Amino acid sequence: MTKGGAGPLLRFKNASLGYGGAPLLTKVDLTVEAGDFWGILGHNGSGKTTILKTALGLIPCVDGELTGKTPRFGYVPQKERLDPLYPLSALAVAEMGACREFAPFRRAGREDVRRCLTECGAASFAGRRFSGLSGGQKQRVLIARALAAEPEVLVLDEPLAGIDITTQKALLDLLKGLKDKRSLTIMMVSHRVGAEKEMLTHLAWVEDGRVAVGPTAEMLSKGRLSEVFKTEL
Amino acid sequence: MSAILEMLSPDFLLHHAVWGSVVVGFVCPLVGVYFILRRLVFWGVALPQVSASGIAFAFMLQGLGVNFLAGGEAQEKHLAIAGALAFTIGTILLLALLRTRHAEHAEGHIGVLFALAGATAILFVAWNAAGETEMLGLLKGEIVSISESDFHAMLNVFAVVTACMFLFQREFTLVSYDRDLAVTLGRNALFWDLLLYLIIGVTISLGVMTVGPLVTFGFLVIPPMAALPWARGMLSFSIFSSILGGLSAFAGFYASYAYDLPLGPVVICAACGVYGLSSAARLLVSGPKSL
Repeated sequence: MTKGGAGPLLRFKNASLGYGGAPLLTKVDLTVEAGDFWGILGHNGSGKTTILKTALGLIPCVDGELTGKTPRFGYVPQKERLDPLYPLSALAVAEMGACREFAPFRRAGREDVRRCLTECGAASFAGRRFSGLSGGQKQRVLIARALAAEPEVLVLDEPLAGIDITTQKALLDLLKGLKDKRSLTIMMVSHRVGAEKEMLTHLAWVEDGRVAVGPTAEMLSKGRLSEVFKTEL
Repeated sequence: MSAILEMLSPDFLLHHAVWGSVVVGFVCPLVGVYFILRRLVFWGVALPQVSASGIAFAFMLQGLGVNFLAGGEAQEKHLAIAGALAFTIGTILLLALLRTRHAEHAEGHIGVLFALAGATAILFVAWNAAGETEMLGLLKGEIVSISESDFHAMLNVFAVVTACMFLFQREFTLVSYDRDLAVTLGRNALFWDLLLYLIIGVTISLGVMTVGPLVTFGFLVIPPMAALPWARGMLSFSIFSSILGGLSAFAGFYASYAYDLPLGPVVICAACGVYGLSSAARLLVSGPKSL
């Protein structure tokens, strides 16, 4: 990512995104400004996570460019991706978010991490084994871990998947509260639009190798949806 | 009891062999925990065999007159260590590369390497008939005849390995558990991976030189398996695995000495006994679902 001065936090400009030089998505034009709440939507395997991974710098753009201010990211991966074999407590998982530098004799910002866990409602199970927590509890710990990195942009990959509706609502309330309190910019991947649509400022629909972007209200209008899905709604 | 006291005496003829086995038992599980957690147990099968093949290759070169380190027993050992290190670290890097590019064939690649390493070890020995006896002794792990200087060299290297495993535990855990997070945090995941692989390579090479491929593999895998159900964090997992490995080595040496049995297999059986006890205790504490 090239560094810029004032301007957007992230900007994909006519970018092709994919793995090993093979584009999965083409002509991606997406600009993330400070304070935005982006929802990245599409069915499984459509390439939503590819957008996140490119934004995070985990994979390079195949073509085109990604520019911006190189913001500090907090990353919440899909909880199923984390191996349950590791004997790690929720606190130990959250502490990983503060591992920005080599500091062998210092517990990296343990008090800060505890504060993040409290902020996310996860302090009461911080001592329990992470793999034994419920889906909602794991998400709270992973959001706390992302906050421990003191992010400007919070990136969440399917945080509501496999979680009951009540817990989904509680997590969305938590995200809304964190966004307001910490002035966060959020990018969140989901495979459907649910209760979160009220909170999203922008939507990116990923369909057939293309990404359609715009403000949420416009993107959810019948005409725009018909255009994206190439069918009469 | 008298046999144990005799083994602990500084005048014991096999003093260095006892403590050499115990040290290998302590150190191998420290790297073994990452074999278990990264689900690389098959690496643990193949790498000691590859290391043994490297030792055989180094001796074959010497037999063919390539004496770049020749001149006495000490140099022979250095040659063997160089061969083991080169083969082991080279193979680890190759496996890591193949794992990133062709993950779907990862187990097949290890199987091919294991077969190749076993076959080449035999061929290298066959091409160096003059050194066959010594070679076979090394491949079995000649801990019983370990010299004072070798013992102290081994202690020094394993002390560095142990220090690294504890000093860099946070980094090794981070890149093993969530590599994407490590990269997002700006950590050099490739560097920490390579450092871990280097330490694994050194530990296995020295372990194979000291106690042979079978016991090295056993210490890499069995004590961490026994410790995992009781671990409450990475630190306790490492320490508990290491203690169980050291105790297994000591118990195995005692049984071997007291009942005149071959050392390597007895040590492995002792470690498996500890694993069995751990599983039984887990069953008692948590019920059948824990197994």
